[in-house]
Amino acid sequence: MQTPENALLPPFQRPPSQVAIRRVASYEQDLFDLIYETLSEFLDYGKASEGQHNEKAIPAASLPRDLARIRGKTVLLKPNFVGLDPLGAVNTHPAVVAAARESFLKLGAAQVLIGDGPALDRDTEAIVESVRLREYTGPLQRTFVDLNIDDVERVPLKTRASRLNELYLPKTVLRADFVVSMPKLKTHHWAGVTLSLKNMFGIVPGGCYGWPKNVLHWAGIDNSILDINAAVRPDFAIVDGINGMEGNGPIQGTPKRSDVLVFGNDPVAVDATCCRIMGLAPEKVKYLAGAGTLLGHLKTEKIEQLGESVASVRTPFAVLKEFNRLLEPCRQKSN
Amino acid sequence: MTTVQVECGPVQPSTDAEFVCSVCLPFLRAAQNEDGGWGFHPGCQSRVEATSWTLLALRGQESSSSEIHHAGFRFLRAAQLPDGSWPSCAAQNVGSWATSLASWALLGDRESQTAVAGGLQWVCDDWPRNASFIARMIRKIASGSQVTSQNDSLRGWGWTPHTASWVEPTALALIAISQAPREMLPAGANRRRELAKAMIYDRMCPGGGWNCGNPMVYGVPGDPLVEPTVWALLSLRDEADRRENEISLEWLARNLAKFPGPGSVALAKVCLEAYGREWPASAPSLKDLHARNGFLGSVPVVAWTCLALSPRRSWLGAEGAR
Repeated sequence: MQTPENALLPPFQRPPSQVAIRRVASYEQDLFDLIYETLSEFLDYGKASEGQHNEKAIPAASLPRDLARIRGKTVLLKPNFVGLDPLGAVNTHPAVVAAARESFLKLGAAQVLIGDGPALDRDTEAIVESVRLREYTGPLQRTFVDLNIDDVERVPLKTRASRLNELYLPKTVLRADFVVSMPKLKTHHWAGVTLSLKNMFGIVPGGCYGWPKNVLHWAGIDNSILDINAAVRPDFAIVDGINGMEGNGPIQGTPKRSDVLVFGNDPVAVDATCCRIMGLAPEKVKYLAGAGTLLGHLKTEKIEQLGESVASVRTPFAVLKEFNRLLEPCRQKSN
Repeated sequence: MTTVQVECGPVQPSTDAEFVCSVCLPFLRAAQNEDGGWGFHPGCQSRVEATSWTLLALRGQESSSSEIHHAGFRFLRAAQLPDGSWPSCAAQNVGSWATSLASWALLGDRESQTAVAGGLQWVCDDWPRNASFIARMIRKIASGSQVTSQNDSLRGWGWTPHTASWVEPTALALIAISQAPREMLPAGANRRRELAKAMIYDRMCPGGGWNCGNPMVYGVPGDPLVEPTVWALLSLRDEADRRENEISLEWLARNLAKFPGPGSVALAKVCLEAYGREWPASAPSLKDLHARNGFLGSVPVVAWTCLALSPRRSWLGAEGAR
């Protein structure tokens, strides 16, 4: 789904990215208003800054796809649905997903689908029922797509960071006009953190690659993350950091509240911001460092911050000792 | 596509039987593609996995001479790669775990015996990459510490070639091998079988049941899941009296309500009944679960439901008829 308006470009050729942090006290809060207002803010921001970039320095092809383009189009929300979650710290909360769906519809999308391909358990209906998605979105037949068993198409991998060369990916993802990655704010026992880029592992179909998608591990998790995100460029990210997970994530860690939702039109910038909220250094996360060279912005000076500041919501997350190197320097001294 | 008359006569009339006859079988028949295969959903690309489950489900329901069967068998034979394996999707040119399943589904078809023999040969020649001595040494040196608890010298099968061993593909390969006539099995099949059984037992979660194949990670026990537990237990039926089987069956019966998906419920019913266990009266009804989301239109789930609600267990082989 490599499109000209979202090409792979080094940071100096990319315009700044926008990331918004919004404080949210609880999933019971009116999330629709908050998400709709925030998305509208991005829309307004896009209109206001239109034409401000130096056309000579920044080719039109490098401009991120903005929200104005969703009118009359198909939006795909890609949450992180993993499995049983008695403490509410593993799966993207259905209230966030449902509110985002309503917001994109109100902003003019013709259709908003929700799709995921859980990595460990092939009974996707059991997972979405345990997540209680239907309670928030209504009947699932026409809304939810099990990406593990969707029709697939061969996609050559242009970045070739891993040895995969090609992947078979779901048509629902490849044909969506606007893809929104909606992860949970979590640490990860193999990759360090799992945020909007790692969340895209869930589009790789188990029906082709199994449960788990072990071929990605053999090809190198960090490099596979880069290849998948370069092949299917998520256009937007909304991270559920209201209740996340620290330590031995993404399943067996400890719940950790940050009470935030993080939004952005550049998943790399969103993930970098989330790392900073977690007290981690994004440039030390291997796949994020790689993503910062081609897919989006890692550096704070290239990220226009909307809403709350990082400092005001910073909530240091514990990591496994194998990932102590990811801690921000000030935390390493005190560790 | 040829229309075949509904054959519900021999099945005892009951709510489950009516559900199979009036909802599940018509759904499967209507979902068959022009090429004879089935996709994961009606109208979708024919896939080896969906076709194999459907053929197994229809084995006990239709006359085996029906055109629906023959077209399905033809699709599978046409999808086989020159090396004897089956890919997981049509355009792929490498084999996959679906080879075991396709071999199993074709066992009942006389015209497909050469294809089955080729599939079983490929299965027995396919070794997971992590199990070699050199790979184990490299991993040990690289990790410095033991992240996972399993014994990697025990070999099973992976989802895709040259990756690690996992519970479900290993169990499905074991079932395919155990159902094949002895004369069809390649040399070395018995050794693979014994090694794979040892691997599955080694990967059991503490307290019984299986997940995809990580019983412990960073010293923390993994939680079992229904589907891997079912396939592991069905592949180990000739060791039914072992304690591991017992505690895993108990885990399955005890935890059904936690997994509210029709796929899990259908397969759990198959498994418990194959072991001669009573289906708990409190267990969810597949008919009710269908009313909820229409099984999300999943062909494999409808096929498993047919298998679960059919009193016949011939598709599981002689051991399944207990």
